[in-house]
Amino acid sequence: MYRIGVDVGGTFTDFVMLDTEGESTAFHKVPSTPDDPSRAIAAGINEILELNKVDPAKVGYVGHGTTVATNMVIEGRGVPTGLLTTKGFRDVLAIGRQTRPSLYDWSVRKPEPLVERYRRIEVDERLDKDGNPLTVPDIKAVMELVTALKDSGVEAVAIGFLHSYRNPEHERVVRDLINEIAPDLYVSISSDVVAEFREFERISTTALNAYVGPRTQKYLHRLRSRIADAGIRIEPLTFHSNGGLLPVQTVEELPVLTCLSGPAAGVIGSAHIGTEISETEIITFDVGGTSTDVSLITKGQPQFTSSRLVAGHPVRMPMVDIHVIGAGGGSIARIDDAGALKVGPTSAGAVPGPISYLQGGGDVTLTDANIVLGRLNPVALLEGRMKVDRGLAEEAIKKQIAGPLGLSVEEASYGILSIATANMSRAIRSVSTEHGHDLSNFTLFSFGGAGSLHAAEVAEECGLRKIVVPREPGTLCARGVLLSDLSRDYVRTALVVARPETWRQVVGLGDEMAENGKDWLATEALPGAAQELQVSLDARYFGQSHSIPIALQELNEDVLEAFVQKFHQAHADQYGYRLDDHGIEIVNVRLKAVCHVKKGNAVPRIQGGSLQKALLETRKVFFGTSWKDTPVYRRALLAAGVPFSGPAIVEEMSGTTVILPGQTAELDAFGNIHISLKS
Amino acid sequence: MNKQISSAGMIGGFDAIAMEVFANRLLSITESMAINMMRSSFSTQIKERRDFSVGLFDGYGRLVAQGTHIPVHLGSLMGAVDALLARYPRDQIRPGDAFICNDPYAAGGTHLPDISIATPLFIGDSLVAFMVNIGHHNDVGGRVPGSTAATAESIFEEGLRIPSMRVRREGEVDEDLLNMISLNTRLPEERVLDLKVQVATNDRGGEEARKLIDRMGICGFEARIQDLLDYTRRRLELRIAELRTSAPSTFTTYLDDDGLPGGDRVPLKVTVSVEDGKLILDFEGSGLEARGALNIAQNALRATAYYCVKALLDPELMANSGMMESIVLRAPVGTIVNPRDPAPVGSRTIACQRLAGAIFGAFQPLIDPEGRMASSYDVLPSYVFSGLNPQTGKYYICGETIGGGGGARCDSDGMDGVHVHITNSLNLPIESMENEYPLICEEYALLQNSGGLGRWRGGMGITRTIRALHDNTTVSARSDRHNHGAPGAEGGEPGGMGRLIRNPGADGEEMLPSKVTQTIFRAGDTLRIEIPGGGGFGRPTNRPVGMIAADLRDEIISEDHARKGYGDTLVDAALALLHGGEKQTAA
Repeated sequence: MYRIGVDVGGTFTDFVMLDTEGESTAFHKVPSTPDDPSRAIAAGINEILELNKVDPAKVGYVGHGTTVATNMVIEGRGVPTGLLTTKGFRDVLAIGRQTRPSLYDWSVRKPEPLVERYRRIEVDERLDKDGNPLTVPDIKAVMELVTALKDSGVEAVAIGFLHSYRNPEHERVVRDLINEIAPDLYVSISSDVVAEFREFERISTTALNAYVGPRTQKYLHRLRSRIADAGIRIEPLTFHSNGGLLPVQTVEELPVLTCLSGPAAGVIGSAHIGTEISETEIITFDVGGTSTDVSLITKGQPQFTSSRLVAGHPVRMPMVDIHVIGAGGGSIARIDDAGALKVGPTSAGAVPGPISYLQGGGDVTLTDANIVLGRLNPVALLEGRMKVDRGLAEEAIKKQIAGPLGLSVEEASYGILSIATANMSRAIRSVSTEHGHDLSNFTLFSFGGAGSLHAAEVAEECGLRKIVVPREPGTLCARGVLLSDLSRDYVRTALVVARPETWRQVVGLGDEMAENGKDWLATEALPGAAQELQVSLDARYFGQSHSIPIALQELNEDVLEAFVQKFHQAHADQYGYRLDDHGIEIVNVRLKAVCHVKKGNAVPRIQGGSLQKALLETRKVFFGTSWKDTPVYRRALLAAGVPFSGPAIVEEMSGTTVILPGQTAELDAFGNIHISLKS
Repeated sequence: MNKQISSAGMIGGFDAIAMEVFANRLLSITESMAINMMRSSFSTQIKERRDFSVGLFDGYGRLVAQGTHIPVHLGSLMGAVDALLARYPRDQIRPGDAFICNDPYAAGGTHLPDISIATPLFIGDSLVAFMVNIGHHNDVGGRVPGSTAATAESIFEEGLRIPSMRVRREGEVDEDLLNMISLNTRLPEERVLDLKVQVATNDRGGEEARKLIDRMGICGFEARIQDLLDYTRRRLELRIAELRTSAPSTFTTYLDDDGLPGGDRVPLKVTVSVEDGKLILDFEGSGLEARGALNIAQNALRATAYYCVKALLDPELMANSGMMESIVLRAPVGTIVNPRDPAPVGSRTIACQRLAGAIFGAFQPLIDPEGRMASSYDVLPSYVFSGLNPQTGKYYICGETIGGGGGARCDSDGMDGVHVHITNSLNLPIESMENEYPLICEEYALLQNSGGLGRWRGGMGITRTIRALHDNTTVSARSDRHNHGAPGAEGGEPGGMGRLIRNPGADGEEMLPSKVTQTIFRAGDTLRIEIPGGGGFGRPTNRPVGMIAADLRDEIISEDHARKGYGDTLVDAALALLHGGEKQTAA
């Protein structure tokens, strides 16, 4: 059986295919088709099957990471959406948390709510904080509101009532009514989407889900039929932002789960590959065209967060914690009027792109500097499929940067690189200090199209000792999709101080979600696959406002004391003190239903190859003080276990790795490059 | 180990590339100090409201880099270092020392709850830097819990005054001093924990700075600092040179009162001009020292002015001494903007907010027309409900500061319901409030007709209606702009005014003044707070019909209000647009 992982990016769609017997791994890349991403997916799948002579009927798994929902929000292309909410609270979406997005820059505005004010309709209903009804919605009145909303042209409706995380009854009554009188409307209710307290975040997440729902459904229909047309007999899975996969039906109900999922697959892939080679303390370093994504893996586990913004709108969902900065290959270098050289955060993007890519770009970018310095292939990239022009880049750097600063072209180019290194290193330091870790114990996992171009300098700047570059680093996100499990997250707010008499309530919430999780697994799990329910509690000392997650082996009547001890310890570890006599408040109960996917051997053993066979050319590369003759190797022809020293460049289809003078590199049996820094 | 960056990249004697690399390394240090402070501190003010700042100074006391989440702290670290160097000659400062202070008059503080710790960094015998932080402590004694009563009449009612003094001497922490401080606060344990965190934060930053200096040498460190300060100064000078300064520009705004009940309104006046390339902010004409705690101490004035300059001229400008050298503040002694010891200063944020609005107003004619805007609501309204929570049997205090309307800009409507200028605090979610306190919220919404009309509409204010569930609930509330709204600009109309109403729509409805202290509510009583909106920009008659139609459709303005401001012709056209063909004949 063959398994295919797909990652849809802004410029390219990446593919990784492996067979479960572990015999072969194939990588592929095609230009993305942003108007309908399923076209590039189908084209790439057809090509990779054909190139490797694989019968489509033998494909047993297609998983893909998509930016369809995220882009819909960023570009404002969702459907006209309505909101039904509690009387007195229709502006919750517009007020948000009452903060302005930029402290100093008044030209930066709060995002406009996804639902216009006249489509935010108040229903005369109210629950108290315990979920007891104070005012029950009047069915007839609601029918009129829904009809008016429908007449205004909405295609989707979000329902978000106060305290519905305690009692979903009112939301369900109204939903059922809509399903009855306007069955063609897409409906999302907040108690289903995210049953957590704090009205703005919950309703924002729900509104966003409704806003992207209908068009995500259409996209999935197209994708399914194209994949079926390719002769593949199974349904595609979709990657979600908490690092797992969802079946089509769940994505149709909860498309918001896929928002910001793209970079998460790379982190999951890194954790998985790291575990295979006994690297458990990892900083992931994913550099693309416009951004650098950094995250931390410790004890083999990625870190999670529960709140991120999608185009300024909060999405309250558990997701892999990733720190993003605006530094990438397309970052523009320019001199400001007071004489400083700045690199990013503006990017030339895919279009017009770097000057040397000949797509019409006119601003000097980081990629242009890499080409001028001889680090990136100065003739063509993507195994010769994409021509580049070094001369144009050199001319522009001379005119825009080197001339005004009174530097040589290589000094100016190296300066651009140094500043990018400083920006990226700052992001890495901030991620590690935030979690209280010492960087010297970590290995840098570099991937994305440009990660391993910069990893060597960044590791030196941050005091990291080791770098790992997985095979085809530019396609790691597609590979991460192959290394993930099916999973779905559930949450319920408790807000009780942990005591024997309240613990029963917490256990009850866990039991309810366990039922939901089992039902979901019963319909969606792959036959014969191992299943698991994972429970955790968000808790804090009473009076605090930030909670920390505490994972439990199981949630039952007997584990209260164990939980209490675990919380005190976790608080001490994270914040440096514990308050043994203070009450502990349980904010949320979380449950993750997991179906383990059989992954086979991820990568075959590397055999044969040698430095001589792998040597493509020797070219001049500038390393800060001088040009050095540098061997350039083709990665696929390098042998495992044979160390070589820098300076060296390793090229492959989707990435280029730079090894500095004084550093040594070696391939392991899986084909990962390990670079050791001089100590 | 690190490659030395080429030093050939000079403009006007500085190395552009090395400076940018250095700036990132410095910011890593202040970011790490900030994270450490937030993670380790105990009190909610620092940990969750992020009411603190960290910074790195050079050995001569010049601010090089600062990390801050609220503009009211901009430059507030400088007072502590100035006071330290004024009190102790450099040769009396020893490795292992750490200094503490909070007093606005004797030691460059802004109000007493903000306590600073400054720690010298030595490399060998050379004093090369100071690591400094300031944190808002929940209580430093005084007349009321929290130590900031608007009605305090002297700083002696506001808590413990600490001059610049050693809290650690050559590595030995002065536990006696910590005991003395903690005895003077209502939350002694918290104080000692947080002060120790402040000391440790500087030590941690100091270690990282030491590594950086080891790498580049003291001379390199000092050269890059000079580059950075010169660059910042040059960058601000360029922005100043772009100002349209043919004549000084003046703006006056008025506080409703001076903090005490029945007090007269207080003018806040500023005149902005440029002399010899420097920005002059002259506050001549501002009111006398307030009797209540609205006085703006020197460092609060600096923070407010620096915030405004950064926001108006260059939001990305690094806040360091290079920026501050080009800003001259002239504030007559004995006025609300330069009070004398022992005038009370605890609630200065209210006045700072209005003063920021005045500075924004004065700058408008000077800046690029593409960046101009009308006045924002410029208030820091707050309410506090307190009493015994019958469910827990414990005393509770529930309060927050509320957002209002941003001023309309020359190219867009004002933002609705936001914090402006020197604060940016999160709201209290309704579901959090109702879970924690015996209160129920009946309405939380944007206020119709509160945004000033204009070509561009001012932002809307917020309204919140809260019902007490029990007798003997104590209510205090504090707002401003109950007498006149935020001015519009270039023909725009003023924003709506604030109101406080008890039991709206019920028998015994009562309009309250803008400051209410310690009023007792019975079960079922409600308080409605209406926050002012922002001013409009440009003449209302220039607003496109389609936008008026959308405002009417969205009930942002009522038809009556629209007719008064936009005139019948425009409103009829807008209504026609909304209702398709039917009403066109009527128009």
